[in-house]
Amino acid sequence: MRYGQLVIGPAGSGKSTYCHMIQQHCETIHRTVYVVNMDPAAEHFDYPVIADIRELVQVTDVMEDEELNFGPNGGLVFCMEFFLQNIEWLEEKLGDSEDDYILFDCPGQIELYTHIPAMRQFADVLKSWNFNICSVFLLDCHFIVDATKMFSGIMTALSSMILLELPHINILSKIDLLSSKAKKSLDKYLDPDPHDLLDEVSAHVDPKYQKLNKAISSLINDYSFVQFLPLDISDEGSKDNVLLQIDMTIQYGEDLDVNTKAMDGADDQD
Amino acid sequence: MATKTVINEPPRDIITPQVQASPDTSSGPNKTLSPTPCILVVGMAGAGKTTFVQRLTAHLHSKAAPPYVINLDPAVLKLPYPVNIDIRDTVNYKEVMKQYGLGPNGGIMTALNLFSTQFDQVLQYIEKRANEHSLVIFDTPGQLEVFTWSASGTIITDTLGLTLPTIVVYVLDTSRSVNPTTFMSNMLNACSILYKTTLPFILVMNKCDIIDNGFAVEWMKDFTVFRQALSQETSFMSNLVQSMSLALEEFYSNISSVGVSSLTGAGINEFLAAVDKGRVEYWDYLARRKKISEQREREMKEKTIDKLTELKKQSGKGTKLKLGLDLAVQPEYEYEIEDDIYGVGGESPDEGDLVHDEDLDLDES
Repeated sequence: MRYGQLVIGPAGSGKSTYCHMIQQHCETIHRTVYVVNMDPAAEHFDYPVIADIRELVQVTDVMEDEELNFGPNGGLVFCMEFFLQNIEWLEEKLGDSEDDYILFDCPGQIELYTHIPAMRQFADVLKSWNFNICSVFLLDCHFIVDATKMFSGIMTALSSMILLELPHINILSKIDLLSSKAKKSLDKYLDPDPHDLLDEVSAHVDPKYQKLNKAISSLINDYSFVQFLPLDISDEGSKDNVLLQIDMTIQYGEDLDVNTKAMDGADDQD
Repeated sequence: MATKTVINEPPRDIITPQVQASPDTSSGPNKTLSPTPCILVVGMAGAGKTTFVQRLTAHLHSKAAPPYVINLDPAVLKLPYPVNIDIRDTVNYKEVMKQYGLGPNGGIMTALNLFSTQFDQVLQYIEKRANEHSLVIFDTPGQLEVFTWSASGTIITDTLGLTLPTIVVYVLDTSRSVNPTTFMSNMLNACSILYKTTLPFILVMNKCDIIDNGFAVEWMKDFTVFRQALSQETSFMSNLVQSMSLALEEFYSNISSVGVSSLTGAGINEFLAAVDKGRVEYWDYLARRKKISEQREREMKEKTIDKLTELKKQSGKGTKLKLGLDLAVQPEYEYEIEDDIYGVGGESPDEGDLVHDEDLDLDES
């Protein structure tokens, strides 16, 4: 069994930073995590990757190609379709060693999930390669300034969730950039009391949506997994928590041998 | 096909990238409210936003009620309609990509960010010209989330919302939505935008010439039909999806939706009727927003006074000193304004001024 995270989210939500951070964090706790760049339009990233889709196809090349003459979006769709046709390339790159843990840094455009089944197919292929995967949806916490924005974020997360049909984790990124006051005001949305949330939303939107507000807030209440986990990259505890939640979701570590070396090390210190 | 009207290229209003020395401060954009409605056309790439705007523009021109059109998509190659303000006149996104070393997505985003710093100029132009036009139309970038989940998109939507009767138009590709999962995902996105902006909202089911939107209307009206379609399509019929589609039913029942064909022009009149309806709704939106900001203002004042009274009550152990605190005098207090919640001050310096006009006024009061 192998393990993987599909890292998704809108452009600029911090997907690449997240991958980099998780990789470094795992290094410090003696775990090996690999990263694969899946975004053919990626600019730069400062982490080592075991595979980069841009080696196969690059969106700027497609856009500049005289015959194809695509805009940025058409170019991306073309790249993803081309990638799926040449999926063996990735299979070769990934190898087949057991217990690998791989992060897939995916492109953010929602169109790739809704209009063409590219990402869905990719997820299915990974499953067939004996991967246990989950989708990790990142959202920039700066947009969650009040309850209506929280609702909005939840709806966006849900829309990619139902398309991928994978176990799903929502993360609010960039918490470390907030002022302490903003952090405090964010807290109430992380573990929301549905009634408070409902009251606040009702003040903001047209009264005719009252029933819709109620329906969504009961959705939040009934299904705790539409909640967001905060991720503060300056805080080790926050990273641990996020990683733990994801590991539990993909059942990583359930059949691992006990790391005796680390335990011996701990004993030595005592 | 509707009759083709020849439209002369209107004089272009160009937004200069330089900061203007003295913008006309005598009439701030928030003080004089123009009655001309404004629509923000959003939707996924390929949903047909641009063709929809083209059809709408042609229709309005043929009725001798020309709209004021603003293109916000820096990556569009060719615009099939006359445009009054074009982001491409201000920012060259290919140049942005090159200079900042960005990919296409980052390029579009940065171009939009740069443009939004000059958004006050756009508003001034609209102010000036609004009376000559029947409708102000914004065509947004292809990628949905570049507009909805970016600082610049938020700035533009929020500022417009305070200035003009703004209506959000979500364009849906009907032909792609025959798959119930795609349909639902689209609807969730639409719903997300509704909450994000809280503005009046119109759902446009575009491309009705390819496939009639009857199926979607039926799904929206009757939950059981939709559930049936969904169960045929996917194996993932969890409770969540069921509850979600039930919740969305409330969304459908309140939303104004119009089937439109941008190719044949069918449904445009219905759409304009929906715009009129949205225009009425807008005043409620404005009243709500004003109320919220007033409430925030009041709360902040109360907090300050509370703090001061508390300080006054505390009896110190030392000798009594006159602190010079007088509640009758309005305390000069440094408010910590909440704009840093956006935390993007560094990226777009004008953001604070644009979004939090009322909040900033606090400081002066």
